[in-house]
Amino acid sequence: MSRPLLEVDHLVMNYTTEKGDVSAIQDVSFTLNEGESLGLVGESGCGKTSIAMSLLRLVAENARFDSGEIRLDGTDLLSLTDEEMRQRRWNDISMVFQGAMNAWNPVYKVGDQIREAMDLHFHPRLSNAEVEARISKLFELVGLNPAMMNRYPHEFSGGMRQRAIIAMALSCDPKIIIADEPTTALDVIVQDQILQELKKIQADLGMSIIYISHDIAVIAEVTDKIGVMYAGKLVELGSTREVFARPRHPYAFLLLSSTPSVTGPRRKLAPLEGEPPDLLNPPTGCRFHPRCPYATDQCATDEPPMEDAGDGHQVACWNWKEVPELGGLTK
Amino acid sequence: MGKYMARRLFQSVLLFLVFITITWFLLYALPGDIVTQKFRTNPNIPPEAAETAIRRLGLDRPILEQFWTYVTGFFRGDFGVSFNQYPRPVTEIIAERLPRTIVLFLTAIVTYYWAGFIAGKYLAWRRGKRGEMAITVGGVGLLTVFYPWFALMAIWLLSAQLGLLPISKFLDPTEWRNAPFSANEVFMRLFWTVAITSALLFSVQYAANKIRDAAPARAIRLGGTVLVIVGFVFYWWGAGGVEIRPFAGDIAEHLVLPVLVLTLVNFAGIMLLTRSSMLETMREDFILTARAKGLPEKAVRDRHAARTALLPVTTSLVLAVATVIDGGIITEFVFSWPGMGEILISSVTSEDIPLAVTAFSFIGVMALVGHFVVDMLYGVLDPRIRVSSSQ
Repeated sequence: MSRPLLEVDHLVMNYTTEKGDVSAIQDVSFTLNEGESLGLVGESGCGKTSIAMSLLRLVAENARFDSGEIRLDGTDLLSLTDEEMRQRRWNDISMVFQGAMNAWNPVYKVGDQIREAMDLHFHPRLSNAEVEARISKLFELVGLNPAMMNRYPHEFSGGMRQRAIIAMALSCDPKIIIADEPTTALDVIVQDQILQELKKIQADLGMSIIYISHDIAVIAEVTDKIGVMYAGKLVELGSTREVFARPRHPYAFLLLSSTPSVTGPRRKLAPLEGEPPDLLNPPTGCRFHPRCPYATDQCATDEPPMEDAGDGHQVACWNWKEVPELGGLTK
Repeated sequence: MGKYMARRLFQSVLLFLVFITITWFLLYALPGDIVTQKFRTNPNIPPEAAETAIRRLGLDRPILEQFWTYVTGFFRGDFGVSFNQYPRPVTEIIAERLPRTIVLFLTAIVTYYWAGFIAGKYLAWRRGKRGEMAITVGGVGLLTVFYPWFALMAIWLLSAQLGLLPISKFLDPTEWRNAPFSANEVFMRLFWTVAITSALLFSVQYAANKIRDAAPARAIRLGGTVLVIVGFVFYWWGAGGVEIRPFAGDIAEHLVLPVLVLTLVNFAGIMLLTRSSMLETMREDFILTARAKGLPEKAVRDRHAARTALLPVTTSLVLAVATVIDGGIITEFVFSWPGMGEILISSVTSEDIPLAVTAFSFIGVMALVGHFVVDMLYGVLDPRIRVSSSQ
């Protein structure tokens, strides 16, 4: 359970554009252990999906890795050749895409699209009947009728497509599944079903999952650890329980304060002022300081390092000790 | 699918009836009294003969009866008798001209669609790389060039100056003086062998694509292709074709220049269509899925992007097939290719009404057949349509 499987080490990635470099991932480090689930949250454009795509090395053509490593079982994925990386995709890391709607090619049967991945990566090679048996098993696992594998994607409902995507992600026994907004396009009930399904599958099969979402509530239900991202930086990383109960970074704190709690004590909602920064010219020092009510002069000049705030709960803020407890704003 | 086909077929026939009615009445409503002009006051025909001709052509009958006779005859393959080449039946004239036009333009369409699709596919895939600019500018330049001038220049350069290809016509009359075959026999033979060969090659590709494993798929693709080509060669150089081959070769040689010119002028349109369709498809999420699955780039391009991008290209094929007859007027004139386009012009200008109506009707038939075939193809290519249409 505790062996580190994936280590992202001081990763820096920029997009080259005509106007200059866009700093999409700035010095991000985290570790994912075997069988663990990690959630990455943050607003749109904060770099969550860039990280997901970096893990598969499926970044846009103008993306550039400037430093850092992504180690899977000790091998740096960034140093592999394109061909070596291709062999690892889906085999080691697979993905549950956001918006299952378009993740399927409309002109091929769902079963055939799953088979396509297995033909490439599954060892030993399976016969036709074995492939079908395996897909049937996977379909049952995700709660789909195995007969559906001979249908086309448009014959599936949104929730069914998402389930089928999960089946496809599982098809080659990956070590890690990246679930990028796995439930965004679905209604609340289906959302919950899918998440519970994923959680159960993870418990049964023991792979690691990285959840990516803008919705911290969705992620909290199914993850062991949560990383909060802001403007390309990981600003807080800790166990889900810790981050929820006692957010240390002002951004995480304000984010959680801006959502009402149904079961917890009544408190005043604190909206987060301002807008996320322009990543073409990110603010100096701490990227959050222009919006931060706790900012000091130091924040504008020096970048805060990740600091341990106890119990492995890490935070990148000079003044995290100033941030009150979540209940502090109670009316 | 069967029910859908039947419905579409019925619609097509209905549409054709409307088309032929409008065409027939429009052409018969042309100013001038045909009966008087062509027969009664024609100094070359004796009055008795003129009266016989009028009677035999049915021109003395009421107009609605003439129409009814024509339409019912049309479905039996009897298109009436030509006014100007009296008493030659229109059926005979069409039967002589149609194969020439179909062979020329189908060959050209298949060639430039194929070239355009391949070029567009690569262009989209190598977007922003060197060479894209050159191909795009060159292709669009050819697309916008004044076509008759370009065709004449091609004849001037390749035939007149370099002497590589025959200048015009579809055969060399001196070689055919004592030919034991009629040109049409050769045309039909050419047409069928090429059609059958293409169908077989396509089937081989199709079968190979269905095979999951790379090695046997390659073996089938290679073996099948070689087998079909050997069969083709054996047919023409062996038993069946020894005597007919020189004549077929002569026609094939005459085909090269018009097909080449048509391809150069038209492929860019298909290329640009494929390119934009590919670029649109490549932005789709399922392309990312395919890459994430670790598919090789070639498989992503051909199996996922190009396969889906094929749909709008297929649609444009409808128009191309429909213009097989009428769109070739300029081509047939420039290359002195006596086909349907030539008939269309001459029959209208000389008021040979039965011939003109029939030539127009064939445009209609081709358009409807084209639409029908493409609708069916669409059903095969796009499962979304397949299902909704069967409901």
